[in-house]
Amino acid sequence: MTAHRHPADETLVAYAAGTLGAGPRLVVETHLGGCSCCRKHVRAFEAIGGALLESEAVEQSPSDLLSRTWARIEGLPKRPRAAAALSPEPYPGAPELLRHCTIGPWRFVQPGLRIAMVTPPGENEASAMLMRVSAGRRMPKHTHDGMEFTQVLSGVFYDASGRYRTGDYIEADDEVDHQPVADEEQDCICLAAIEGRLRLTSFVGRWAQTVLGF
Amino acid sequence: MYALCGSGWGAVPVIAQPIQRVPKASDLLEWMRAVTERADREAFARLFEHFAPRLIAFFARAGLPRDAAEEVAQETMIAVWTKARLYNSAEAGVSTWIYTIARNARIDRLRREGRRSKLETEVAAEDDEGFDMSGEDSLLALERDERVRSAVNVLPIEQAEVVRMSFFAEKPHAEIARELGIPLGTVKSRLRLAMAKIRAAWEIEQ
Repeated sequence: MTAHRHPADETLVAYAAGTLGAGPRLVVETHLGGCSCCRKHVRAFEAIGGALLESEAVEQSPSDLLSRTWARIEGLPKRPRAAAALSPEPYPGAPELLRHCTIGPWRFVQPGLRIAMVTPPGENEASAMLMRVSAGRRMPKHTHDGMEFTQVLSGVFYDASGRYRTGDYIEADDEVDHQPVADEEQDCICLAAIEGRLRLTSFVGRWAQTVLGF
Repeated sequence: MYALCGSGWGAVPVIAQPIQRVPKASDLLEWMRAVTERADREAFARLFEHFAPRLIAFFARAGLPRDAAEEVAQETMIAVWTKARLYNSAEAGVSTWIYTIARNARIDRLRREGRRSKLETEVAAEDDEGFDMSGEDSLLALERDERVRSAVNVLPIEQAEVVRMSFFAEKPHAEIARELGIPLGTVKSRLRLAMAKIRAAWEIEQ
C-alpha cells in the first residue's frame, strides 16, 4: 500500500501533463492551493512540458493560419465575461476552488457519514465527492477499484497507516483495505475522487453496497 | 489590454520570413512583453510563427488528428493573446507558460468535444494588473527553464521514455507499464528518478 501526505511525483507529473481525470485533478488542485512546496514541484514538471514543446520538430503549417487566428480574435466579445457566480459554501470556510464547482446536496449515507457530489468547473458530471464524517465515527470499510485521491479539508482522521490532518493529501491504490476514523475532536471533511470515470449512481451504489451489505 | 491596436490584419506578414532562425528564450520573452504591455501584433505574429508549428506537432504527437491539432494550436495562441496579462515572467519561461496554456486547451478540447469553447472567451479582466517583466526574476526563470531542458536532454533513455509517454499519452501509468512490458513499479521508479533530477535542476539557484 502507498500513503502520502503529499501527492506522489507521478501524480504531480500527470497533473502537469494534463492527463489526470477531472476528479483527481480537482483533488490535486485543492492540495496545491494550500501547498507551496507541491506547487513548486508542479512548476518544475511543467517546465518539462515547455522543453518538450520547444524541442518539437517544426512542421509546415498552413500559411493562412495566423490570419485565421486574427479573425477569430477579432470575433471575440470585446469585454471580459462577468466572473461566474460562486456556489454557496458547502461548509463554512471551504476553499474558493470548491465554490467554482457545482456541489450537490449533502446526502445521508449512514449515521455519521454524509456525502455531496462535486462537479468540477466546466465538467458536466460529478467526478469527486465531499465526505463529512462525524467526530469519532468510522467510515465504512472499503477497497478501491482504482487509485483513490483524498484531500483532508477540515479536521483529522486516522487509519492503520497514520494520522491525516487538515491540508494532508492521501493517495491509496486498489490494494488498500482500510477503515478511516474521524478524530474525536471534530467532524472530518474530505474531498475524494477515484481514477476513471464516475457516475453518480455507481458512486452511491458503491457506498450503498458497502453500507447495506448487498 | 484586449483592444486590438495597430493597422488591420493585412499589415501583418503571413508568410514565414525567408531566413529562419530559432529565437532565443530572451527573444521570446521580449515578444511576450510587447504583447502584454502594448498588445503588439507584430510581436504576436513572431510568437505565432515560432509556436504554432510546434504546438501542432505537439498535439499531433499527443494523439489529436491533424485538423484538430491545428485548431487547438489556434485556440492556444488565441488564449496567449487574450490572457497575456496573466503571464508572470518570474514564474515561468515563455515556452513553459505557453505549454500550460496548450495543456489546458487540450483538456478543454477533450472535455467539450462538440461543445462551444470557453477557453478563448475568458479574457483577462480589465483590472488584472499584469506582472513586471523587467526584473532579474525573469532572467532567473529563463535560466531555470534552460536547466530543465538540459536535464531532460540528458536523461537515460529508459527514463526519458516514461517521461515522454507520461506527457504525450493519455494513459495511466499502468498502461505505460503494459506497453513497455515492464512492471508498474518500474514505471513509477523510473519516473521518480527522472523527476528527482528535474527538480534538482529546477531548484538550483545560481
